[in-house]
Amino acid sequence: MAKSTSKDAQDLLRALWSAYSATPTNLKIIDLYVIFAVFTALIQVVYMALVGSFPFNSFLSGVLSCVGTAVLAVCLRIQVNKENKEFKDLAPERAFADFVLCNLVLHLVIMNFLG
Amino acid sequence: MAKLVVFLTLISLLPLLCNSFSDDKPSDRHILVLLDDFAIKSSHSLFFKSLQSRGFDLDFKLADDPKISLQRYGQYLYDGLILFCPTIERFGGSIDAASILDFVDSGHDLIVAADSNASDLIREIATECGVDFDEDPAALVVDHTGYAIAATEGDHTLIAADGFIKSNVLLGSKKIEAPVLFRGIGHSLNPSNSLVLKVLSASPSAYSANPKSKLTSPPSLTGSSISLVSVVQARNNARILISGSISMFSNRFFRSGVQKAGSPTKHDKSGNEQFLTELSKWVFHERGHLKAVNVRHHKVGEVEEPAIYRINDDLEYSVEIYEWSGTSWKPYVADDVQVQFYMMSPYILKTMSTDGKGHFFTSFKVPDVYGVFQFKVEYQRLGYTSLSLSKQIPVRPFRHNEYERFIPAAYPYYGAAFSMMAGFFVFTAVHLYNKPT
Amino acid sequence: MAASDASNGSSFRNAFGSVLSFFILILIGVLAFSIRLFSVIKYESVIHEFDPYFNYRVTQFLTKNGIYDFWNWFDDRTWYPLGRVIGGTVYPGLTLTAGTLWWLLNSLNIPLSVETVCVFTAPIFSAFASWATYLLTKEVKGSGAGLTAAALLAMVPSYMSRSVAGSYDNEAVAIFALIFTFYLYVKTLNTGSLFYATLNAIAYFYMVCSWGGYTFIINLIPMHVLLCIVTGRYSSRLYIAYAPLVVLGTLLASLVPVVGFNAVMTSEHFASFLVFIIIHVVALVYYIRGILSPKMFKVAVTLVVSVGLAVCCATVAVLVAVVASSPTKGWSGRSLSLLDPTYASKYIPIIASVSEHQPPTWPSYFMDINVLAFLVPAGIIACFSPLSDASSFMVLYIVMSVYFSGVMVRLMLVLAPAACIMSGIALSQAFDVFTSSIKFQLPNLLDDSPVDVNDATSDNAVAPTAVAKTSKSEDTTKERTSKKSKKKEKEPVEKPPSKSQAKKRLLVLPLEASIIAIFLLMLLGAFYVVHSVWAAAEAYSAPSIVLTSRSHDGLHVFDDFREAYAWLSHNTEVDDKVASWWDYGYQTTAMANRTVIVDNNTWNNTHIATVGTAMSSPEKAAWEIFQSLDVKYVLVVFGGLVGYPSDDINKFLWMVRIGGGVFPHIREADYLRDGNYRIDSMATPTMLNCLMYKLCYYRFVETDGQGFDKVRRTEIGKKHFKLTHFEEVFTTHHWMVRIYKLKPPKNRIRGKAKKSKSKTSSSSTSGSKRRGTKRNPF
Repeated sequence: MAKSTSKDAQDLLRALWSAYSATPTNLKIIDLYVIFAVFTALIQVVYMALVGSFPFNSFLSGVLSCVGTAVLAVCLRIQVNKENKEFKDLAPERAFADFVLCNLVLHLVIMNFLG
Repeated sequence: MAKLVVFLTLISLLPLLCNSFSDDKPSDRHILVLLDDFAIKSSHSLFFKSLQSRGFDLDFKLADDPKISLQRYGQYLYDGLILFCPTIERFGGSIDAASILDFVDSGHDLIVAADSNASDLIREIATECGVDFDEDPAALVVDHTGYAIAATEGDHTLIAADGFIKSNVLLGSKKIEAPVLFRGIGHSLNPSNSLVLKVLSASPSAYSANPKSKLTSPPSLTGSSISLVSVVQARNNARILISGSISMFSNRFFRSGVQKAGSPTKHDKSGNEQFLTELSKWVFHERGHLKAVNVRHHKVGEVEEPAIYRINDDLEYSVEIYEWSGTSWKPYVADDVQVQFYMMSPYILKTMSTDGKGHFFTSFKVPDVYGVFQFKVEYQRLGYTSLSLSKQIPVRPFRHNEYERFIPAAYPYYGAAFSMMAGFFVFTAVHLYNKPT
Repeated sequence: MAASDASNGSSFRNAFGSVLSFFILILIGVLAFSIRLFSVIKYESVIHEFDPYFNYRVTQFLTKNGIYDFWNWFDDRTWYPLGRVIGGTVYPGLTLTAGTLWWLLNSLNIPLSVETVCVFTAPIFSAFASWATYLLTKEVKGSGAGLTAAALLAMVPSYMSRSVAGSYDNEAVAIFALIFTFYLYVKTLNTGSLFYATLNAIAYFYMVCSWGGYTFIINLIPMHVLLCIVTGRYSSRLYIAYAPLVVLGTLLASLVPVVGFNAVMTSEHFASFLVFIIIHVVALVYYIRGILSPKMFKVAVTLVVSVGLAVCCATVAVLVAVVASSPTKGWSGRSLSLLDPTYASKYIPIIASVSEHQPPTWPSYFMDINVLAFLVPAGIIACFSPLSDASSFMVLYIVMSVYFSGVMVRLMLVLAPAACIMSGIALSQAFDVFTSSIKFQLPNLLDDSPVDVNDATSDNAVAPTAVAKTSKSEDTTKERTSKKSKKKEKEPVEKPPSKSQAKKRLLVLPLEASIIAIFLLMLLGAFYVVHSVWAAAEAYSAPSIVLTSRSHDGLHVFDDFREAYAWLSHNTEVDDKVASWWDYGYQTTAMANRTVIVDNNTWNNTHIATVGTAMSSPEKAAWEIFQSLDVKYVLVVFGGLVGYPSDDINKFLWMVRIGGGVFPHIREADYLRDGNYRIDSMATPTMLNCLMYKLCYYRFVETDGQGFDKVRRTEIGKKHFKLTHFEEVFTTHHWMVRIYKLKPPKNRIRGKAKKSKSKTSSSSTSGSKRRGTKRNPF
């Protein structure tokens, strides 16, 4: 049972990997970016657990800036993904412009909240 | 320019100086003396002379003189009133009990001397002030052990009383050696009444009864609960002296020697003169009258008085307290003046230090609570006028930009936020560069 | 608006239609604005009621001192001696809006006073709100329904009650913000554009600034997302609409001082975070399903589900533990009373005492949303055919708001837009069906030539007839009918033509029936309009500080409140403290500029209970309580002379309850005779001796010799009495406001002996009454 499960898991991972390799480079870049953001967020959560939540607003803004970045990047990824049928009529340029605007707002708020 | 500045400072200081030192003289100047008949004027002349020698201007009137009045055009004509008219039933002119009480309530002083057979009018005035005379009109204070030894063995109604109140403010710093001669009616005070003080109390063996008649029932007033002379300081600091005996003010009592029964020492002169002179000084505000000026508070290191404090500010509070000596304001010296920083309850209670020149000061930290606070000085000491200063001052919380910024513990978060921003720029560049492919 | 129709004529018609709808929208805006001016015309341009006075005062401060001082404002004139940090406890949206408006006008050299701007803020924003309604409904069901809904919202009585000119309250701008946020959410949902998602977050920020009701949004939207996921309607547009909103919205909400960390700490917001996590999981699942073959996906599911379940259980357990450990389970009192309608009356009398927080009665539904109540079910049905993401959102919105409005009268306000939108949809669909069936049959009657149903030209040829037929009624109905013609044009664009064709054929009704039905609908609309205008003119325009009454000898105006406040501001020292029941706190600070002990911001229950206790105590105890609070004047509102029912005697039981909640020696039962609250001769001695009774009825018997109270419709119980510790200093013309001053402690303390020559010995029987130093003897 355990063996079959691990074999399944290996198969699954392999299949995932092969499927993922097919994604275009620009999407991979976005994925990298998302992983970077999520990783930073996790570090902060660990740090907060160690040090305590005293400057709570700083913690909140730090973590939410990472989460926000990740979420926005995912949104962008959804929109520029050519295989996604829902956004056929949305130009990637438009999607990117929206993305930049959204990020600007996000970072403005973060700056305001950080101190 | 500099001259002008100096001039302006002087000008601005001038009213301050005037206010604090010359204008406000609490001692009374004009005193109306109401008499039963003019004989009292001469028989009690020593007492009156001592007043006049201290600068008082006495106006003697018969109590039933139809022309007497306390005020004209809404202004009081006198600063003090002496009632040496124990038997008067109705005052002449416009004066009645209510007008005398109004006179007191507007801050003026009063000396009332009663006697046995004191009229209802005098009793009513006394009662309104918190002094209850023995209701038996014929009663006198009798003391079979503490009487004054006199030439004729009488009914022991002439008492040599030495139950003085222990207060330098009321009776002066010099100890009264000789007992005080007293013949008259006793009174009682309500112990819960905090405004009235027993200055001269009878000895434990005294009682109040009609000496002529036989004692049938136990006397209502006995022992040292009988007060012979009492003073009242009203809430507005008007002072009242109430004595159960008019004869104790008389020249005869002033001059006569006294020997208390059971005491070997015979004094050449009774204590009456010293006792009553000192007491009248107190009543007419020549002693024990305090005033507080120049209440100041400011942050440590600043001079200007702020309109509002912030929590955890350090502040300094100072006040100057002076005592009226009869002729001038002298610095008040004490080490028990306290200031409260008060909001529903005192958050801070500090005893102020003094420099011996009337300047009291302290400094403290505003508590970590915001709200509308008060600086309160509640200074009530026996014999002194009560000082009650309160000054409202709001205390606000931190402003938004007064909190700590750039906390070291938060640097990782700052780093994360900025790295996200940097990441965003890098990503933008890469994404745009990558697009053509 | 660009139609996909090829023909030149129809595109011209579409252009014409959009211009027409633009003008209709402007007219709706004007209607929304002007229908709210009744209060200014009938009374005067004043701020209404209680809370608006506070907002007005805050706005004045803002315009005078600038935003930073406003933000840090510590107000030492209320809640004496505690003070109140205004900047951190107020929703700044309304004040900032009005302040900006004022600043804008002034920099354009239009010198309006702050008060004028405040008075007209609400009508302006109700016009905005009706436009936002148009946009929202258009996203849901097309512009025809949008125009109908906008017209309905412009004059829905429920919303009007909070937004007449002068009613300068948070709700005035918050409803606009609410609808606009929903519009942007639905728009994002429909387009999947990050741009709208950003706007949505900003609109949400404005809503958070404006009103505590923002929690409605942050709970409704996650519920909708969850609904979509559960019903299998997940799409990546849903993700784009929701995920950025949560992150940005939370951050922005934390920026508002009054919300602060509550945006992440209280349970009202937890739902959104939970759904945030769920949507990520779901998104990941959909993504993986997209890139994997079905077989491998199945393997993955079994694997992930077993691991994921364990993780989820752990998370939920932790979350529950955190929530359960906090007092009141992390929910604030008002929110709890939403979930459990009996919560407030059981535990928090101060919330229950406000009439706005009571559950509404049936008549109030009819009063506030009128015929819309009957149209809503039809609208819901219309939303289900066909069900889109947007219309499912509307259905959820109406269901939730109906529930909430059932709990609290105040939340009828949230229901009103939903009801308007639903009714708009229902009306427009109904008109659509009827007019098209008329259109279908009319040509048949006129000339027997066969007409293609789908022919747009003939469609439009008939429309003017319909307009002409009905234009004799009011202009609003005209708007509605002309909307219909537009609606029809849009129809082929919105739906696949074959479907609509089939549907239209299916729904063809007999001509007569259609005409009658249209007529009836017109009648219904007309009735609604008449009711709304009546409500605007009569029911909701009274500013409540100026009262009027009509009697046989003409109109009476009661301006007692302002009279009293003016007296206070002219005859008392600046630093004097005035005690009154909290209802009048805001007005006293704003109009009389005197320090008050408690006010309408009921943040400190103990302080209010102290005042309640003082009012319920006998005179002497009350005097001591007031003295300890440095109170100089006591203000009571008394309606017994003129029959003003919401006076302090009628509110008195709440004072007793609130006071008794903190100070147990005040017992409600002591004030009731056999459970009845009465002030006549049958009243309890406690009642007749309490301060409130005495202050209200002092010298009352002198007015008519009977002491007949017109509100309670009875003669008062105790007619002749004296006040020992208070003195009357001012009573207004109609006795509605009475102001008393605390007597200072007596200068002297009397002796025990009776004034009259009673010979009884006064040794030790009496007299122990006045203990302590600063007590006032008789």
